[in-house]
Amino acid sequence: MGIMNQLSRRTFLRGAGTAIALPALEAMIPGKALAAGNVKFPTRMAFVYIPNGVIQKDWNVKGEGPGYRMSRTLQPLEKHREDLLVLSGLAHEKAEANGDGAGDHARANATFLTACQARKTSGADIRLGVSVDQVAAKQLAGKTRLPSLELSSEGVRLSGRCDSGYSCAYQFNLAWKNETTPVPPESNPKAVFDRLFAGGTAKEASQERKRRMALRKSILDFAMDDAKQLEKRLGYTDKRKLGEYLESVREMERRVEAMEASPVDLPRGFSVPAGKPNDYGEHVRLMADMMALAFQTDSTRVISYLMAHDGSNRSYPVVGVKSGHHSLSHHRDNADKVESLAKIDRYHVTLFAHLVERLKSIPEGEGSLLDHSMVVYGGAIGDGNRHTHYNLPVLMAGKGNGAIKSGRHLVYPKMTPMANLFLSMLDVMGTPTDQLGDSTGRLKGLA
Amino acid sequence: MFEYREGEGGLVLRMDWYRIIFCFLMAGSVAATEATGPAEASFTKDILPILEDHCYACHGDGEQKGGLALDGFQTEKDVHHGYKIWEQIRKLVAAGEMPPEGRKKRPNGEERDLLTGWARHSLDDFYRTAPPDPGRVTVRRLNRNEYNNVVRDLLFVDFRPDNDFPADDTGYGFDNIGDVLSMSPLLMEKYLDAAEAIAQTVVEIPQKPGPGTAFQKAYFKLPLAKDTEEAAFKGFVAKFMRRAYRREIRAEEIDRMMAVSKAAVDEATSIHARVQVVIQAVLVSPHFLFRWELDGAPSNPKAIRRLNEYELASRLAFFIWSSGPDDRLLDLAAKGTLRKQLEAEVRRMLADPKAEALVRNFSGQWLQLRDLDIVRPDKNLFPAYTTELRDYMRQETEMLFADVLRGNRPLTELLTARYSFVNEPLAALYGLPNVQGKAFRKVTLEGDVRAGVLGHASVLTLTSDPNRTSPVKRGKYVLDNILGTPPPPPPPNVPELEETGEIKGTMREQMAKHSTNAVCASCHKKMDPIGFAFENFDAIGRYRTDDNGAPVDAGGQLDSGESFKNAAELRVIFATKKSDLFIRCVTEKMLTFALGRGLEYYDKRPVDKIIDRLEGNDGKSFHLVMGIVESLPFDMKRGEAAP
Repeated sequence: MGIMNQLSRRTFLRGAGTAIALPALEAMIPGKALAAGNVKFPTRMAFVYIPNGVIQKDWNVKGEGPGYRMSRTLQPLEKHREDLLVLSGLAHEKAEANGDGAGDHARANATFLTACQARKTSGADIRLGVSVDQVAAKQLAGKTRLPSLELSSEGVRLSGRCDSGYSCAYQFNLAWKNETTPVPPESNPKAVFDRLFAGGTAKEASQERKRRMALRKSILDFAMDDAKQLEKRLGYTDKRKLGEYLESVREMERRVEAMEASPVDLPRGFSVPAGKPNDYGEHVRLMADMMALAFQTDSTRVISYLMAHDGSNRSYPVVGVKSGHHSLSHHRDNADKVESLAKIDRYHVTLFAHLVERLKSIPEGEGSLLDHSMVVYGGAIGDGNRHTHYNLPVLMAGKGNGAIKSGRHLVYPKMTPMANLFLSMLDVMGTPTDQLGDSTGRLKGLA
Repeated sequence: MFEYREGEGGLVLRMDWYRIIFCFLMAGSVAATEATGPAEASFTKDILPILEDHCYACHGDGEQKGGLALDGFQTEKDVHHGYKIWEQIRKLVAAGEMPPEGRKKRPNGEERDLLTGWARHSLDDFYRTAPPDPGRVTVRRLNRNEYNNVVRDLLFVDFRPDNDFPADDTGYGFDNIGDVLSMSPLLMEKYLDAAEAIAQTVVEIPQKPGPGTAFQKAYFKLPLAKDTEEAAFKGFVAKFMRRAYRREIRAEEIDRMMAVSKAAVDEATSIHARVQVVIQAVLVSPHFLFRWELDGAPSNPKAIRRLNEYELASRLAFFIWSSGPDDRLLDLAAKGTLRKQLEAEVRRMLADPKAEALVRNFSGQWLQLRDLDIVRPDKNLFPAYTTELRDYMRQETEMLFADVLRGNRPLTELLTARYSFVNEPLAALYGLPNVQGKAFRKVTLEGDVRAGVLGHASVLTLTSDPNRTSPVKRGKYVLDNILGTPPPPPPPNVPELEETGEIKGTMREQMAKHSTNAVCASCHKKMDPIGFAFENFDAIGRYRTDDNGAPVDAGGQLDSGESFKNAAELRVIFATKKSDLFIRCVTEKMLTFALGRGLEYYDKRPVDKIIDRLEGNDGKSFHLVMGIVESLPFDMKRGEAAP
């Protein structure tokens, strides 16, 4: 039975007004998986962002379907080809200027998970749209301790100048809770770890934890009362700001409760990260480990990770590239630059392969964590030299709990909205929505 | 921020659809150059026909491509009413982006100049005569710096959440802009964690026999006695809340806090535990985390009011100290005498070591010194560059800025100072003799090679690429931060013309490419000559006389005509002929920083007023600070209607 059938079945139940809600997850998992008893493993979704486009001739794979030939850039993933979907032809039309002039990097970053046009502003009136991960997070709220996890390898913020009149909020956040509120990412692996286990692990003396959590609760109550008293006295934007505060307090209250209910065990042999390493590769690998840990402990089912922000001018001495990524990306077909960029592209893929390996190495039921996940890797610029927003580099690793038939290269008509992929993924997650950004329907052929 | 450039027909403003960013630059000279033609043009007689001819096909007569219909504009008044759209129209037409290429009929140069010149003139007139408006500052959450400082001043603990809190988003070039300082569950969690850790640290500081900790001395009469403990505790709550919330605290607020602290602690016996609860509760309260300026009629934009003195004290303190007001400011506010002695207080605040925050946070962002953290000069090419040296570079520029600010020196000295602050490693980089040790000292510079911040290694490094200098970046830096005339970004889908490494010859020969393309040349002729003037400095700011074996030619001519032989001469041009641009640029940037919002058209007059004051006082820095503090937008506020 295909995904669409499953979906309509669920819709039918809902439409019939049945009192017994079928657990969303169960409804979304094909019968085969149900029979195999895999049901108890949740489906997870993650997004990893790479900036500045790719060298397309080295990225593009040859041939379609299962028999495609791996490209030079994607070579590090060859051994995982059975777990991989290569998706060609996807586009983010809302990252185009569309009358707003320069700023393709800011727009690409902003549009990647939202499929919306970023309002061009340096500060006031920032406006975008809810991102795919947050759509899922909202519907999954309460099922895990963290509704979603946002990560970044960009710590130091520039002095405040971002791309061409766009607020930096667009260029450093992937996740957006709603049109006006980005969800800021965490960049310190140690802090991510603390966050995952903030309520303390099961090992922590339960008495001490109880005391701490009780105090937190009463302090949150107190803060909530303060905020509510303020609410009546505010103008339009200030009210929105207070709304963000209220929402954050509520979220923390939920989390405190969830932690009380189910403290987590740290998987055996896991070492706590010391902090933020200076080496970029090490940093990315640690973040990948955190992602795997978060999924493994079912601390969250939704993660977005900004491996580097669009427009990033990082250099990559580890692969012999001394110039900045962004400067290089305007290569104008200069052979040396193209080669340097291809090296960067491939290096990024190597880092992503580490994440794939991690997820694959963690057994879950009869399969692996990767089998129960969908991990999208890609960016919202196709050709960095020309700032195009079509032919985007996009991969997906994982089988989505059986909903994704991996091991293929799928070619879609040019300009197929990336948002269509998101709609399909949300279906698999059991958190469907009708429309996301410029989506025009579901992406066919994933199953 | 203000983003504009000079164009053929006067000023070409760069802005975006939804946000108007006004350029006040050279209002006088604009009027002079545009006096013939556009100024006398009439909307109905001269402008409307151009619109009908060239725009209505897509934006009129029922057509509204991109949601824009122009036939609604029938009078000049209509245009003023729709000033935001018109700024955009003017910009797109001036840039040749509208009408789009490929249309059979496009306006000729004369028509284009008339339309854009008229719009500039008419809109400027409108802005100049608009009713005074202090604008509205969105409530500001404490940013990371402010949080650190406030905690330090309140509780005497050095707590730096920099690595723990998510980076603050920035707008208009600064990280204290209310609109983009958002709140998230992640941050809330960090606040809870931080509050817990801070409270614990404060009460756990070992109590040595003797006078007690700084915290105890600040909030308790020591020694504590059992029978007066409750009263002492209440005294602490009142004092702490007042400082933390930066305002008068009502009796019921104190009672409520007392109740919370009691309820949360089972044993209720330990005053330590209760102090801890109070600290934790206050540090996550919205009254602490946000700087509220509550109005009686928050939704009425016409309800303009003066700030009360507590609010003023907060604005002053966060502007100059990036922290909350101290007891003295709060006491003056309570008595209602702060405004009466504003000047004396501002002097006191600038003299306080806490004013280092203004130096670091303002210069760090205005001059982009913070970006030094992410600059990575190639280790093989520049083995001399270390993170230590980098910090010294930053320190030098901060020290010069501090000297100008605190010494009440003319602002243009930032560009021309024949003195600087160096230590041995920096002196070695500069080739200055007789400087030993790591301590910084003031040195008089021989000659003018390094005069002013543009001769500092900090600026020269942060405007370079990892392996070479970048005249484009340096030119753009000057246009952005010194002259306040940022070039427009390259048009969409036309790659930035980054220099190509393999073309042989000096940077200048390589960059000649920019002039071969008309689209590129229009902006690069503004950036490149400025950038080349600094070619005597390599990518970490060392002086050099040749590049790739060829002698450096640092001479050139500005787009506006002035010639120079090298960077030193160019800086003199900036500090004299272009000083009005520089002063305006600094004024606008500092006002943005002080207000925590982007500037709007109605800020034109306050900005002009500050500049007048500076001009009447030899451009001395104190008058910039004082002019800002006394300006309409700093001193007053209004409500805001829903859009």
